[in-house]
Amino acid sequence: MPTVIEATARTPEGKNANRRIRQSGRIPAVIYGRGKASMAVSVDPVVIWNILHSDAGRNTIFNISVDGSAESPAMVKDYQRHPVKGNLLHVDLMEIAMDRRLVLSVNVELQGEARGVKLEGGILDFVTRAIDIECLPADIPESIKVDVSQLKINDYVRVRDLDLGDKVVILSEPDVVVVTVAPPAKEEVPDEEAAPDEPEVDKQAKGEEGAAEGKKDDSKKPESK
Amino acid sequence: MLMPRKVKYRKQQKGKRRGKAWRGCEVTFGEYGLKAMEVGWVSDRQIEAGRVAITRFVKRGGKIWIRMFPDKPVTKKPAETRMGKGKGAPEGWVAVVRPGKILYEMEGVTEQQAQEAMRLAGNKLGIKVKFVKRFGKEA
Repeated sequence: MPTVIEATARTPEGKNANRRIRQSGRIPAVIYGRGKASMAVSVDPVVIWNILHSDAGRNTIFNISVDGSAESPAMVKDYQRHPVKGNLLHVDLMEIAMDRRLVLSVNVELQGEARGVKLEGGILDFVTRAIDIECLPADIPESIKVDVSQLKINDYVRVRDLDLGDKVVILSEPDVVVVTVAPPAKEEVPDEEAAPDEPEVDKQAKGEEGAAEGKKDDSKKPESK
Repeated sequence: MLMPRKVKYRKQQKGKRRGKAWRGCEVTFGEYGLKAMEVGWVSDRQIEAGRVAITRFVKRGGKIWIRMFPDKPVTKKPAETRMGKGKGAPEGWVAVVRPGKILYEMEGVTEQQAQEAMRLAGNKLGIKVKFVKRFGKEA
Protein backbone atom coordinates (compact mmCIF):
# COMPACT_ATOMS: atom_id res chain seq x y z
CA MET A 1 0.00 0.00 0.00
CA PRO A 2 1.54 3.34 -1.02
CA THR A 3 2.44 5.95 1.60
CA VAL A 4 0.04 8.85 2.01
CA ILE A 5 1.49 12.32 2.50
CA GLU A 6 -0.72 14.84 4.23
CA ALA A 7 0.12 18.24 2.79
CA THR A 8 -1.16 21.57 4.08
CA ALA A 9 -1.65 24.55 1.78
CA ARG A 10 0.62 27.38 2.88
CA THR A 11 -0.37 31.01 2.89
CA PRO A 12 1.29 33.41 2.95
CA GLU A 13 4.24 32.34 0.83
CA GLY A 14 7.71 33.84 0.99
CA LYS A 15 10.98 33.66 2.88
CA ASN A 16 9.74 34.62 6.32
CA ALA A 17 6.67 32.39 6.22
CA ASN A 18 8.84 29.47 5.04
CA ARG A 19 11.29 30.08 7.88
CA ARG A 20 8.41 29.87 10.35
CA ILE A 21 7.18 26.62 8.72
CA ARG A 22 10.66 25.08 9.08
CA GLN A 23 10.81 26.18 12.70
CA SER A 24 7.51 24.42 13.37
CA GLY A 25 9.00 21.10 12.15
CA ARG A 26 7.55 21.00 8.63
CA ILE A 27 9.12 22.05 5.32
CA PRO A 28 7.77 24.09 2.41
CA ALA A 29 6.97 22.19 -0.77
CA VAL A 30 5.36 22.77 -4.13
CA ILE A 31 3.03 20.45 -6.05
CA TYR A 32 2.68 20.59 -9.82
CA GLY A 33 1.96 18.34 -12.79
CA ARG A 34 -0.98 16.96 -14.81
CA GLY A 35 -1.63 20.39 -16.31
CA LYS A 36 -2.67 21.93 -13.01
CA ALA A 37 -1.37 25.21 -11.63
CA SER A 38 1.39 24.77 -9.06
CA MET A 39 0.35 24.87 -5.42
CA ALA A 40 2.47 25.91 -2.43
CA VAL A 41 2.13 23.45 0.48
CA SER A 42 4.00 22.26 3.54
CA VAL A 43 4.83 18.61 4.32
CA ASP A 44 6.40 16.48 7.03
CA PRO A 45 10.16 16.16 6.24
CA VAL A 46 10.47 12.77 7.98
CA VAL A 47 8.11 11.12 5.46
CA ILE A 48 10.03 12.63 2.52
CA TRP A 49 13.35 11.59 4.10
CA ASN A 50 12.09 7.98 4.41
CA ILE A 51 10.93 8.02 0.77
CA LEU A 52 14.33 9.25 -0.44
CA HIS A 53 16.07 6.51 1.58
CA SER A 54 13.71 3.74 0.42
CA ASP A 55 14.78 1.14 -2.19
CA ALA A 56 13.29 3.06 -5.12
CA GLY A 57 14.53 6.43 -3.82
CA ARG A 58 12.98 9.42 -5.55
CA ASN A 59 11.16 7.13 -8.03
CA THR A 60 8.85 5.95 -5.22
CA ILE A 61 5.20 6.62 -6.01
CA PHE A 62 3.06 7.75 -3.08
CA ASN A 63 -0.33 9.36 -2.63
CA ILE A 64 -0.68 12.98 -1.67
CA SER A 65 -3.66 14.69 -0.14
CA VAL A 66 -3.84 18.47 0.33
CA ASP A 67 -5.90 19.57 3.35
CA GLY A 68 -7.87 16.31 3.36
CA SER A 69 -8.80 16.39 -0.35
CA ALA A 70 -8.84 13.32 -2.59
CA GLU A 71 -5.57 11.42 -2.81
CA SER A 72 -3.58 11.50 -6.04
CA PRO A 73 -0.35 9.70 -7.00
CA ALA A 74 2.84 11.78 -6.93
CA MET A 75 6.63 11.55 -6.95
CA VAL A 76 9.52 13.59 -5.56
CA LYS A 77 10.81 15.63 -8.52
CA ASP A 78 13.51 17.62 -6.72
CA TYR A 79 14.66 18.60 -3.25
CA GLN A 80 17.02 21.03 -1.54
CA ARG A 81 19.23 20.21 1.45
CA HIS A 82 21.15 22.42 3.86
CA PRO A 83 24.83 22.31 2.79
CA VAL A 84 26.19 21.86 6.31
CA LYS A 85 23.42 20.27 8.40
CA GLY A 86 22.06 18.16 5.52
CA ASN A 87 18.39 18.49 6.55
CA LEU A 88 15.72 18.94 3.90
CA LEU A 89 14.78 22.56 3.15
CA HIS A 90 12.28 22.27 0.29
CA VAL A 91 10.70 19.58 -1.89
CA ASP A 92 9.20 19.62 -5.37
CA LEU A 93 6.38 17.08 -5.72
CA MET A 94 5.01 16.10 -9.11
CA GLU A 95 1.53 14.66 -9.53
CA ILE A 96 1.51 11.87 -12.08
CA ALA A 97 -1.08 10.09 -14.20
CA MET A 98 -0.81 6.32 -13.87
CA ASP A 99 -1.69 5.81 -17.56
CA ARG A 100 0.92 8.18 -19.02
CA ARG A 101 4.52 7.20 -19.66
CA LEU A 102 7.21 8.91 -17.60
CA VAL A 103 10.80 9.76 -18.42
CA LEU A 104 13.03 9.28 -15.38
CA SER A 105 16.41 7.98 -14.31
CA VAL A 106 16.83 4.75 -12.36
CA ASN A 107 19.84 3.84 -10.24
CA VAL A 108 22.18 1.07 -11.27
CA GLU A 109 22.95 -1.44 -8.54
CA LEU A 110 26.08 -3.57 -8.82
CA GLN A 111 25.94 -7.18 -7.70
CA GLY A 112 28.85 -9.43 -6.80
CA GLU A 113 32.58 -8.76 -6.66
CA ALA A 114 34.38 -8.51 -9.98
CA ARG A 115 37.02 -11.16 -10.77
CA GLY A 116 39.37 -8.45 -11.97
CA VAL A 117 39.17 -6.77 -8.55
CA LYS A 118 39.27 -9.90 -6.42
CA LEU A 119 42.02 -11.86 -8.22
CA GLU A 120 43.88 -9.34 -10.39
CA GLY A 121 43.85 -6.26 -8.14
CA GLY A 122 41.96 -4.02 -10.57
CA ILE A 123 39.79 -1.06 -9.63
CA LEU A 124 36.05 -1.19 -10.21
CA ASP A 125 35.06 2.02 -11.98
CA PHE A 126 31.34 2.70 -11.61
CA VAL A 127 31.00 5.17 -14.49
CA THR A 128 27.23 5.57 -14.93
CA ARG A 129 25.22 5.38 -11.75
CA ALA A 130 21.80 6.09 -13.27
CA ILE A 131 20.16 5.29 -16.58
CA ASP A 132 17.38 7.25 -18.26
CA ILE A 133 14.29 5.20 -19.06
CA GLU A 134 10.72 5.69 -20.22
CA CYS A 135 7.88 3.57 -18.86
CA LEU A 136 4.48 3.61 -17.19
CA PRO A 137 4.53 4.51 -13.48
CA ALA A 138 3.50 0.97 -12.52
CA ASP A 139 6.50 -0.52 -14.38
CA ILE A 140 9.26 1.62 -12.83
CA PRO A 141 12.03 -0.73 -11.65
CA GLU A 142 13.40 -0.10 -8.13
CA SER A 143 16.92 -0.34 -9.53
CA ILE A 144 18.76 -1.82 -12.49
CA LYS A 145 20.81 -4.75 -11.26
CA VAL A 146 24.12 -5.41 -13.01
CA ASP A 147 26.11 -8.54 -12.23
CA VAL A 148 29.82 -7.66 -12.25
CA SER A 149 31.17 -10.94 -10.85
CA GLN A 150 32.54 -12.13 -14.25
CA LEU A 151 34.29 -8.86 -15.19
CA LYS A 152 38.06 -9.09 -15.66
CA ILE A 153 40.49 -6.17 -16.06
CA ASN A 154 39.49 -3.92 -19.00
CA ASP A 155 36.08 -5.64 -19.29
CA TYR A 156 33.04 -3.41 -19.22
CA VAL A 157 29.26 -3.42 -19.30
CA ARG A 158 27.57 -1.01 -21.70
CA VAL A 159 23.99 0.27 -21.63
CA ARG A 160 23.16 -1.94 -24.62
CA ASP A 161 24.04 -5.03 -22.54
CA LEU A 162 21.21 -4.31 -20.09
CA ASP A 163 17.89 -6.07 -20.41
CA LEU A 164 14.98 -4.35 -18.71
CA GLY A 165 12.12 -6.18 -20.40
CA ASP A 166 9.55 -5.01 -22.95
CA LYS A 167 7.74 -2.52 -20.75
CA VAL A 168 10.76 -0.25 -20.21
CA VAL A 169 12.47 1.75 -22.96
CA ILE A 170 16.08 2.76 -22.31
CA LEU A 171 16.80 6.35 -23.36
CA SER A 172 20.50 6.53 -22.45
CA GLU A 173 22.99 6.13 -25.29
CA PRO A 174 23.62 2.40 -25.94
CA ASP A 175 27.41 2.89 -26.11
CA VAL A 176 27.69 4.48 -22.67
CA VAL A 177 29.82 2.38 -20.30
CA VAL A 178 28.04 1.53 -17.06
CA VAL A 179 30.84 -0.18 -15.18
CA THR A 180 34.39 -1.23 -16.01
CA VAL A 181 37.38 -2.74 -14.24
CA ALA A 182 40.46 -0.53 -14.60
CA PRO A 183 44.02 -1.87 -14.19
CA PRO A 184 45.61 -1.22 -10.78
CA ALA A 185 46.83 2.36 -10.41
CA LYS A 186 50.54 3.04 -9.94
CA GLU A 187 51.76 5.72 -7.54
CA GLU A 188 52.67 8.59 -9.84
CA VAL A 189 55.96 10.35 -9.15
CA PRO A 190 55.52 14.11 -9.60
CA ASP A 191 57.90 15.48 -12.23
CA GLU A 192 59.31 18.56 -10.51
CA GLU A 193 61.18 19.83 -13.58
CA ALA A 194 58.21 19.61 -15.89
CA ALA A 195 55.87 21.56 -13.58
CA PRO A 196 56.38 25.32 -13.89
CA ASP A 197 56.73 27.32 -10.68
CA GLU A 198 54.48 30.12 -11.83
CA PRO A 199 51.48 30.09 -14.15
CA GLU A 200 51.49 32.00 -17.38
CA VAL A 201 50.06 35.51 -17.02
CA ASP A 202 47.69 36.88 -19.65
CA LYS A 203 49.83 39.31 -21.72
CA GLN A 204 47.17 41.98 -22.13
CA ALA A 205 46.30 41.88 -18.45
CA LYS A 206 50.00 41.91 -17.56
CA GLY A 207 50.40 45.15 -19.48
CA GLU A 208 47.50 46.70 -17.58
CA GLU A 209 48.88 45.44 -14.28
CA GLY A 210 52.33 46.82 -15.06
CA ALA A 211 50.85 50.15 -16.09
CA ALA A 212 48.80 50.30 -12.89
CA GLU A 213 51.88 49.60 -10.78
CA GLY A 214 53.89 52.17 -12.69
CA LYS A 215 51.16 54.75 -12.16
CA LYS A 216 51.10 53.98 -8.45
CA ASP A 217 54.88 54.42 -8.25
CA ASP A 218 54.65 57.76 -10.02
CA SER A 219 52.08 59.01 -7.55
CA LYS A 220 54.46 58.21 -4.69
CA LYS A 221 57.25 60.35 -6.11
CA PRO A 222 57.58 63.74 -4.46
CA GLU A 223 56.86 66.64 -6.71
CA SER A 224 60.04 68.46 -7.72
CA LYS A 225 59.61 72.16 -7.80
CA MET B 1 51.23 20.90 -6.62
CA LEU B 2 47.94 22.04 -8.07
CA MET B 3 47.82 25.53 -9.55
CA PRO B 4 46.15 27.29 -12.49
CA ARG B 5 47.83 26.90 -15.86
CA LYS B 6 47.22 30.53 -16.83
CA VAL B 7 45.99 33.52 -14.85
CA LYS B 8 44.93 37.01 -15.81
CA TYR B 9 46.56 38.74 -12.83
CA ARG B 10 49.42 37.49 -10.64
CA LYS B 11 48.10 38.92 -7.37
CA GLN B 12 44.64 39.04 -5.80
CA GLN B 13 43.03 40.77 -2.86
CA LYS B 14 42.07 38.69 0.17
CA GLY B 15 38.31 38.75 -0.47
CA LYS B 16 35.45 37.84 1.85
CA ARG B 17 34.93 34.39 3.29
CA ARG B 18 31.30 34.60 4.36
CA GLY B 19 28.47 32.29 3.30
CA LYS B 20 28.09 28.58 2.76
CA ALA B 21 29.01 26.32 -0.14
CA TRP B 22 25.60 25.97 -1.79
CA ARG B 23 27.28 24.35 -4.77
CA GLY B 24 29.63 21.38 -4.58
CA CYS B 25 28.07 20.28 -1.29
CA GLU B 26 26.82 16.80 -2.27
CA VAL B 27 28.84 13.60 -2.82
CA THR B 28 28.52 13.30 -6.61
CA PHE B 29 31.29 11.16 -8.09
CA GLY B 30 32.20 8.59 -5.42
CA GLU B 31 30.47 6.87 -2.53
CA TYR B 32 32.12 8.64 0.42
CA GLY B 33 33.30 12.20 0.92
CA LEU B 34 34.95 14.70 3.24
CA LYS B 35 32.89 17.81 3.94
CA ALA B 36 34.26 21.13 5.23
CA MET B 37 32.48 22.32 8.37
CA GLU B 38 34.07 25.75 8.55
CA VAL B 39 35.48 28.39 6.26
CA GLY B 40 39.17 28.57 5.48
CA TRP B 41 41.95 28.74 2.96
CA VAL B 42 43.36 25.34 2.03
CA SER B 43 46.78 25.61 0.41
CA ASP B 44 48.04 23.59 -2.56
CA ARG B 45 50.48 21.80 -0.23
CA GLN B 46 47.72 20.82 2.18
CA ILE B 47 45.58 19.49 -0.68
CA GLU B 48 48.51 17.42 -1.94
CA ALA B 49 49.31 16.17 1.59
CA GLY B 50 45.68 15.06 1.97
CA ARG B 51 45.76 13.25 -1.36
CA VAL B 52 49.01 11.47 -0.45
CA ALA B 53 47.57 10.48 2.94
CA ILE B 54 44.56 8.88 1.25
CA THR B 55 46.53 7.04 -1.45
CA ARG B 56 49.12 5.77 1.07
CA PHE B 57 46.38 4.44 3.35
CA VAL B 58 44.35 2.62 0.71
CA LYS B 59 47.58 1.38 -0.97
CA ARG B 60 45.87 -0.06 -4.02
CA GLY B 61 42.27 -0.15 -5.14
CA GLY B 62 39.89 2.69 -4.64
CA LYS B 63 39.49 5.85 -6.64
CA ILE B 64 39.68 9.42 -5.35
CA TRP B 65 38.43 12.76 -6.57
CA ILE B 66 39.72 16.16 -5.41
CA ARG B 67 36.75 18.55 -5.43
CA MET B 68 38.62 21.77 -4.54
CA PHE B 69 41.16 23.69 -6.61
CA PRO B 70 43.69 26.26 -5.38
CA ASP B 71 43.02 29.10 -7.82
CA LYS B 72 43.72 32.04 -5.49
CA PRO B 73 47.28 33.39 -5.32
CA VAL B 74 48.63 34.32 -1.89
CA THR B 75 51.45 36.82 -1.53
CA LYS B 76 53.98 37.33 1.26
CA LYS B 77 56.47 40.03 2.05
CA PRO B 78 60.07 38.96 2.76
CA ALA B 79 61.18 38.63 6.41
CA GLU B 80 62.35 41.77 8.24
CA THR B 81 60.84 44.11 5.69
CA ARG B 82 59.26 47.43 6.67
CA MET B 83 55.64 48.01 5.78
CA GLY B 84 54.82 49.66 2.47
CA LYS B 85 56.71 49.44 -0.81
CA GLY B 86 53.91 47.53 -2.47
CA LYS B 87 52.35 44.11 -2.20
CA GLY B 88 54.65 41.13 -1.60
CA ALA B 89 55.64 38.44 -4.06
CA PRO B 90 53.31 35.50 -4.87
CA GLU B 91 54.03 32.76 -2.33
CA GLY B 92 51.56 29.98 -3.17
CA TRP B 93 48.00 29.08 -4.06
CA VAL B 94 44.94 28.44 -1.91
CA ALA B 95 41.42 27.14 -2.37
CA VAL B 96 38.75 29.20 -0.61
CA VAL B 97 36.65 26.57 1.17
CA ARG B 98 33.26 27.41 2.64
CA PRO B 99 31.21 25.28 5.08
CA GLY B 100 29.48 22.41 3.28
CA LYS B 101 32.03 22.03 0.47
CA ILE B 102 32.96 18.45 -0.44
CA LEU B 103 36.77 18.35 -0.48
CA TYR B 104 37.61 14.77 -1.44
CA GLU B 105 35.53 11.84 -2.66
CA MET B 106 36.31 8.12 -2.73
CA GLU B 107 34.90 4.85 -3.99
CA GLY B 108 35.95 1.24 -4.35
CA VAL B 109 36.88 0.79 -0.67
CA THR B 110 34.96 -0.29 2.42
CA GLU B 111 33.29 2.31 4.60
CA GLN B 112 35.80 1.74 7.42
CA GLN B 113 38.74 2.22 5.05
CA ALA B 114 37.20 5.35 3.58
CA GLN B 115 36.51 6.76 7.06
CA GLU B 116 40.11 6.22 8.18
CA ALA B 117 41.55 7.57 4.91
CA MET B 118 39.38 10.69 5.15
CA ARG B 119 40.35 11.18 8.80
CA LEU B 120 44.03 11.14 7.84
CA ALA B 121 43.41 13.56 4.96
CA GLY B 122 41.32 15.84 7.18
CA ASN B 123 44.21 16.11 9.63
CA LYS B 124 46.31 17.73 6.89
CA LEU B 125 43.86 20.47 5.97
CA GLY B 126 43.73 22.82 8.93
CA ILE B 127 39.93 23.17 8.95
CA LYS B 128 37.16 21.20 10.66
CA VAL B 129 35.83 18.44 8.42
CA LYS B 130 33.27 15.64 8.54
CA PHE B 131 33.04 12.24 6.86
CA VAL B 132 29.89 11.94 4.72
CA LYS B 133 28.25 9.34 2.51
CA ARG B 134 26.18 9.66 -0.65
CA PHE B 135 22.68 10.90 0.24
CA GLY B 136 19.83 8.39 0.12
CA LYS B 137 19.59 6.43 -3.13
CA GLU B 138 20.88 9.27 -5.29
CA ALA B 139 22.86 8.44 -8.40
